[in-house]
This record gives sequence, structure tokens and C-alpha cells, in this order.
Amino acid sequence: MTRAVRTQAIDWKQYDPGKFYDELISSPGHARAAARGVVSYLQTLTEKHLQNRQQAADLAIKEMGISFTVYSEGENIDRTWPMDIIPRVISIAEWRRLEAGLVQRLTALNLFIDDVYHKQRIIKDKVFPAEIINSSKDFLKQCVGARPKHGVWAHICGSDLVRDGDGTVYVLEDNLRVPSGVSYMLENRAVTKRVLPQLFRKHSILPVDDYPSQLFDMLTSLSPRQSRSPEVVVMTPGIFNSAYFEHSYLAQRMGAELVKGSDLVVGDDDCVYMKTIKGLERVDVIYRRVNDDFLDPEAFRPDSCLGTPGLLRAWRAGKVGLANAPGAGVADDKVVYTYVPAIIKYYLGEEPIIPNVPSFLCVDEQQRKHVLANLDKMVVKPANESGGYGMLVGTVASKAERAKFAELIEKNPRNYMAQPALNLSTAPTLCNGRIEPRHLDLRPFILQGKSHYVTAGGLTRVALRKGSLVVNSSQGGGSKDTWVVDTEAK
Amino acid sequence: MLSRVAERLYWMARYIERTENTARLMLVQHHLVLDLPANIRPGWDLMVEVLGANKVFAALPGKPTEKNIIGFLFGSRDNPTSILSSLAEARENIRTTREVLPTETWERINSMYLSVAQRGARGLPGSIRHKVLNDIVQRCQQITGMLAGSMNNDAAYQFIRIGRNLERADMSTRIIDTASARLMGDSEEILPYRNVLWVSVLKSLSAYQMYRLSVRRNVNPEDVLHFMLDSRIFPRALAHTLDEIDTSIGLLPRNKEPLAAIAGVKHALARADPATLRNGALHAFIDDMQLMLDGIHNAINKTWFDPDNGK
Repeated sequence: MTRAVRTQAIDWKQYDPGKFYDELISSPGHARAAARGVVSYLQTLTEKHLQNRQQAADLAIKEMGISFTVYSEGENIDRTWPMDIIPRVISIAEWRRLEAGLVQRLTALNLFIDDVYHKQRIIKDKVFPAEIINSSKDFLKQCVGARPKHGVWAHICGSDLVRDGDGTVYVLEDNLRVPSGVSYMLENRAVTKRVLPQLFRKHSILPVDDYPSQLFDMLTSLSPRQSRSPEVVVMTPGIFNSAYFEHSYLAQRMGAELVKGSDLVVGDDDCVYMKTIKGLERVDVIYRRVNDDFLDPEAFRPDSCLGTPGLLRAWRAGKVGLANAPGAGVADDKVVYTYVPAIIKYYLGEEPIIPNVPSFLCVDEQQRKHVLANLDKMVVKPANESGGYGMLVGTVASKAERAKFAELIEKNPRNYMAQPALNLSTAPTLCNGRIEPRHLDLRPFILQGKSHYVTAGGLTRVALRKGSLVVNSSQGGGSKDTWVVDTEAK
Repeated sequence: MLSRVAERLYWMARYIERTENTARLMLVQHHLVLDLPANIRPGWDLMVEVLGANKVFAALPGKPTEKNIIGFLFGSRDNPTSILSSLAEARENIRTTREVLPTETWERINSMYLSVAQRGARGLPGSIRHKVLNDIVQRCQQITGMLAGSMNNDAAYQFIRIGRNLERADMSTRIIDTASARLMGDSEEILPYRNVLWVSVLKSLSAYQMYRLSVRRNVNPEDVLHFMLDSRIFPRALAHTLDEIDTSIGLLPRNKEPLAAIAGVKHALARADPATLRNGALHAFIDDMQLMLDGIHNAINKTWFDPDNGK
């Protein structure tokens, strides 16, 4: 039995995002300029048509084997990747500005990391407090004085952008350790091309497909050897990692070997080799998706069996390129984040193009007082967690939860920062056969090696539950294809 | 190609082949039991013996009843060579090598594993036994065919081919060994059913039809042994599996030691005339063969898989 559905065409006047900024619709019945094509095309479809397209997309995703892994009850479950077929649209003019802002940000962050591991000028000049570095668990003594190629430490960065009610786009956080999601960005586009090919004819949409080759070129620029074809590998913790699909996907697209720590050895010559059926072969660049802690039992956690003993030694000796460099996580800290505007000014002498979300440091007494007094209007985040874990959304939390967090903050103020809860923007999303507004964010990926590259758009994550602000796929979030539309091109 | 990936593919192929062979062996036994009078019927305990699982079975609490043995061979997690365990191993090996295999391989193995795991606890009553076992054989053959038909014949494929053929050689020699020990006796009770029994030996190796096409005589022990050991055209005959392994090893790098090992086995097989061997001598010969097959595995392991032998 098929479920009964309404068959009339979509009426955009019924679509109401309320007080939120909507990415596609500017006022009831009116589309934003870049989204006009999408909206008018959708208008020609009934909701039943749309549902059929969504089913076709779900099927394509299953067939293409696009999945992510959830670990629960001792079993690994490969879940099908959830994607909403209505694309999120960004105008090229806005995108060019964001792109410049992202490059500016990563450039400054890399200068900062390099400085922190060398002369620490920014601390001597009293722009950045020494105690934040001294108390950071991501500042790795083992990396002090290291000289990665091009002076770049964070080669692959995924920055989360959000838009507030007034339309301002903020950087919510920078992911500089092992950011994931880019494979889903690529697959979302592939699925949309399959199920809504007509839409592409109406628009001039910037392509995203070249990411794997851009990534590969960036990685080869880190090779210590002047070889025409350096050996680049992707290092994975293994199938139990939630992003294993992506590791395998990127390796495949780049034509690189997918290795585990145990496939590599570091020789007495400090070079890294992989164990192949032909014997040992030298490796030039490792795109590692293993966290710092587990990377090298000789240098970091001795109980790690995911890493390769001696890797840090090889990297410090300049015999292998590591992306991202160990220690880069020092700038991926919610407390350091609050200093990014100052960091940009200090190293580049420029104003930040994309602002930070206003933030309060709990370590500062004045700011802590403000946070504790306004917990019900705040989002509190621990300094070193990702994936939306260990945070408090004060606007929806219970009194008991807020009391618990107040205690946590008092106990360890350095570990927390807080931001006023934003009114995240929305976009039309297909929910049970109806088009409704849902909140979303955007994660573009920025590469820096010898030069820069920014993905055209990025991964849009959408909270599928009504009113929810949690976009993480492990917690019921979905995704959308993201279009940067060139409205001037004909 | 990474040593780890090569090793995984090799074992994946072995476990898929083992699944198919075990299912077929049980299928033949299932039909044989229906064909023979009770005093002649080989018991299900013979299956446990053929598969070399006596010790494991004896250590478990259950009595050697038909139901218990079938459960043990089919869906037991305590038996490392049960169909369920073999599929679980094949599945784990594929999980980590998905990027070098056709995408459907994972789906096929996964769905087969899930259906066996689901059925596993509930046992395999007679009414569905044929269908379930036959399904497994067919699904394994589908995978083997898919790999043969859609993979580059590169190093990855050679490791799959070696694994598959070593496992076949292992199973063929096991079946011949047990069958000859039980059937060569020519006791008076067995004699009238000798034909049925040797035909079932051929069937358990999927060889009956091809034997008929190629031998064109009645079914007799000498011809069966000769066909199963020396045929170079039947895919499950020992000589043919050795040829296949030899060819694949020849296409891989640094192959000196494994090539020497395979040459040794081929030479030993060619020199002996196993079809004329009887009872003790045949058993000793098969034992030697099995040791030499182990030798091939060890040479492969040392040359291509062993991390410390990399240089």
C-alpha cells in the first residue's frame, strides 16, 4: 500500500520560516535571486513527484553504498547517509567573500601554529596569553621546533559556518585535526545529478568534483623528495572508525593506498616504508586520519596500536609529509577560537572577513559571571570536544542540566567557553512529504599546502527534527547538496 | 599492493570456498542418508571427521546426534570451520578490502552472512535443509563468478585465485582421504551400495557430471581417485588446482620460494600413481600431500604477507 499524499503543486506562500533567515525564500512566495531557478522548478512538481525523487535519491544512496558507521551495543552498523534532495543555494557574490574569509582565516591560523611552536612572538607581544598554551592539551611539546614544509601545519581544515537571524554569517568553529564530511559533499552532488538532472540545465552551478585531485596536488606539494610521482597514502584507524567510508572513498578517488598503522614501518634511516608484496616501499606523504594521540606510540600514547612507531621522528627529520601535521590541533580549541580575530589582525594586519560568534571565556571572571547568569540563553562548549558531544544548549536544557553545567564550569573554567544561542538559518526540506523549514549549517573545506583551495560550497548539514539545532549525523542530522550559483553567467 | 590487503583477499577467497564446500558436503550427506538403508548410512559424525573438527566437537557438551552435528557444522560460533564462522571471516576480510573489490561483493557476502546468522540458532530442520544449503552453494558460486568476470587480473586477483584453489585442494584431499578409508573395505554389506557411495563422493566434489563426461566407464574407486587427483581439466581435481596456483604464483613478484613449493607438490603428485594405492599407503600419501599444501601456504605467507619479512 502506498501512502496517500496530496497531489497539488507546492504552494510557496504556505512556507513560513518564521523569525529565521531562510536560505532560499526571502518572504512568503518570494525566492532569493540565486534560488529562483530551484524554487520555480520545484513549483512545477507536486509533493508526490518530490517524494518519488526523494525515494530515487534514497535508493541511489543505498546502491552507491554511501554510509557512515555508528558504533553501538558492540556491533558496527553501517547506516545509509541521509540526504534531502532540495539543494541549499548560495549566490556566487556571497560565496567569493566567504571564500576569501576562509583563506584569510586558515592562513592566519597556520602562522599562529608555526609561531607557537617556535618563537612565540604573539605571546611575547602580549596579544595572546601564555597560560592558554601552557594549559592546552593539544599543544604538543614533541612538536616544538619542527619545520613542516611551507610552514603549514593545518593542511585540511573544515570550518563550520552558521547564519544568524539577521543574515550575518559567522564561523562557529574551525576543525583542524581530522575534519570529515567531504566525501558526503561529493556524493550528495552525484546523487542530485542523478535524480534532478533538469535543475542543472537552468543554473550555472560551480562544480565540486575536483576536490580529490586538489587534495592530491596539495598532498604531493608536501613530499620531501623531488619525485614526479611521490607515494601518497591515506592512513586510517580502520573499519571501526565512523569515517571509514570517507577514508576508503578518498583513497580510491586519489588512487592512493589506504593503509593502517601496522602497514607502515619507520626504518633506521628515519624514512617511512609500507609493507607491500614487492617488499618495503618508501612513502612520501601520509594523509593521516588518525588522531595525534594514537599516531605514534613512540612519541605519544604508548598503548596505541593504531599508529606507527617512529612516525614523529620521521616527520621531524623531514623524511615524510604528514597532513595535518601533529600538534596542529592547538589552534582547534574553543578557547583559542575566541582569539582568532586578534590572530588575524596580528599576523596579517587585516580585519577578519568572516566574524566569530561572540564568545565568552569562562576562565575570565567577568565573562564567567555573565555566562552563569545567562545560562538559559547560552550554548556552552568544552574546549576540546567535537561532534557536538559534552555541550549544553541552555535554551532547551532542563534546570538540573544547567545546574550541573554551572558546577562543571566553576570547577574547570579553562575548559569551557559560551556563546549566545544563535537563530540558525533554515532552508526548505522535505519532511514526510511536505516542505518545511529546517535549521542548517555549512562546512566548507579549505586546503593549504604550497597554495590554497576552497571547495565550492561545502557540506550542508541539516537538523531533520522540527526546531532542532543539532545537525550531527550521529545524532539524527541529515545533509543537502550545496550549490554556489553563478547568477551572472549565461 | 599492500601485504595486508593481499593476505585479506587470500583468506576471503579461502573462506568463501570453504563455505561452499562445507554446504555441498552437507547437502550430499543429506541426500545420501535418504538413499541408503540404516545400517549402511554413513553417520553425520563422518562430516565432522572430514572437516577435521572432531576435537572441537568432542569438547562441546552436546551428544553426536544428527541435530547437534548439523547445528555444529552450520550455525555454530564454537566451531571455527562452521558455515557461519567461515562467512563471518569472509565478511571481516571483505570489510577491510572493499576498495579493491567490486562493490557488490560486500553486499552479497553481507546478506548471506546475515541470513545464515539469523537461521543459525534455529538449526536446519530436514524440510528446509536442501533449500538453505543449496542457496549457499549458489550464492558462493555467484560471488566467485562475479570476481572472475569483473576484476582486473592483477595481483589482487591472483591472491584470490590462489586462496580459492588451495582451499579446493585441501577439501578434495580431505574427502578422498575419508571416503577411501571408509569405502575401500569392500565389506559384504557395503558392496551392493558401493556405486551409490562413490557417486556421492563425486557429488560432494561437484564432480559427478564431469566424471561421466570425461571417464565414460562405470563408477569405480580407481577411476574416481584418478579423476579427483590427476585430472588437469576438472577444476576441483588436485592436479588442476595445483596448475592454477602455479600460474598465479608465476604472475606475482618475488615468487621464488612459493614457486619451489608448488613445484615440489606437483612433482610428488606426478611421480606417485595414487589410484593404485590402497588403504594405508593411500592415507599416507594424502597426509604427505596435505603437509605439502601447508608448505605452499607457509611459503606464500612468508614471502608476501609476513610483515617482518618485508625487506
